[in-house]
Amino acid sequence: MSVKVYSTPSCSWCVKAKDYLKSNNISFEEYDVSKDRNAATEMVSKSGQRGVPVLDINDNIIVGFDKKNIDKLLGL
Amino acid sequence: MIFDVIIIGKGPAGLSASLYTTRGNLSTLIIGSDSELLKAHVIENYCFIPRATGKEMIEKGIQQARDFGAKVVEEEVIGIKQLDNTFIVSTNQNSYVARSIILATGKSKIQVPIKNLDIFEGKGIHYCVACDGYFYNGSSVGILGYTDYAIHELKEFEGITTNITLYTNGNELVVNEESKKYLSDNKIKINTSPILSVDGGDFLEFVEFKSGEQEKIEGLFVAYGTASSTDFARNLGVLVESNNIIVNKEQETDISGVFAAGNCTGGFAQVSTAVGEGANAGQSIKKYLRTIKQ
Repeated sequence: MSVKVYSTPSCSWCVKAKDYLKSNNISFEEYDVSKDRNAATEMVSKSGQRGVPVLDINDNIIVGFDKKNIDKLLGL
Repeated sequence: MIFDVIIIGKGPAGLSASLYTTRGNLSTLIIGSDSELLKAHVIENYCFIPRATGKEMIEKGIQQARDFGAKVVEEEVIGIKQLDNTFIVSTNQNSYVARSIILATGKSKIQVPIKNLDIFEGKGIHYCVACDGYFYNGSSVGILGYTDYAIHELKEFEGITTNITLYTNGNELVVNEESKKYLSDNKIKINTSPILSVDGGDFLEFVEFKSGEQEKIEGLFVAYGTASSTDFARNLGVLVESNNIIVNKEQETDISGVFAAGNCTGGFAQVSTAVGEGANAGQSIKKYLRTIKQ
């Protein structure tokens, strides 16, 4: 299982998405796109947009804290 | 001073909530500009009051809230931030702190009359500088708006980029002295031309004016008119669906300490339902504050 979260520190939805993963004991790699330009470029290329958070769950891209899709992809 | 509760909106939901919080000995601040109800010529379907104008109802409600001990201020809320277990509410004149919040501003009826905004959402058109502003490090960005709410969002670009234009879309600026000084001190470009559309390829590239002129831009952040409860909810991270704030039966949102009542939660848009939801929110806040004090 590979889970990546692209986020910025001041985005409340990003905090919510990360807290949700943590509360379900899902480990994930975190990228702060406000500081990591390569990650920002990668995120835009994968999602086709610049809004955060973006979750990459086994190469499936979710834009925003879309709980229904997150649950579906993680089997929660 | 830290208020127990700040109610944003002084319509039927907010005023009703204040009666329960004040009677519960909670320090209560109501902040709001004119309620939508003020425009109602006559209300005849509110039980117990056969006929009253919207203005009469609101004036009586404000007096009742004041008599119960609520502080009521006529200010425009331009931003809310959560800091640990408190909420900082910025208005066009002051800043206030509270342990809990009730969002009760009704629903925004302001439509932004510009073509293609929806097509470029997330692709250059954004609604939260604190969230997505970082992508525009050193880039040319714009804020679409003309009030203190727009200037509040514009300030979030500090340290990210200085190439900022305020697009008023033909509106006169309606801002306080502090905002005027900020715009002047920071040499913010102000473009007052009416906008026809935004356009580009995969991402936003330019703004097109009704005059036929175009201006290149990489990001445009919308903060148009007066911020509504749903705007604040989105920025706080509160769940919103179809422009309605999601609440449970206690009027609680999914963020601890944030409650919502009235039209902003969707459903039957009536004074009676707003009053009921407000009462419920006020009562729930008493329980909530008792719990966190333990």
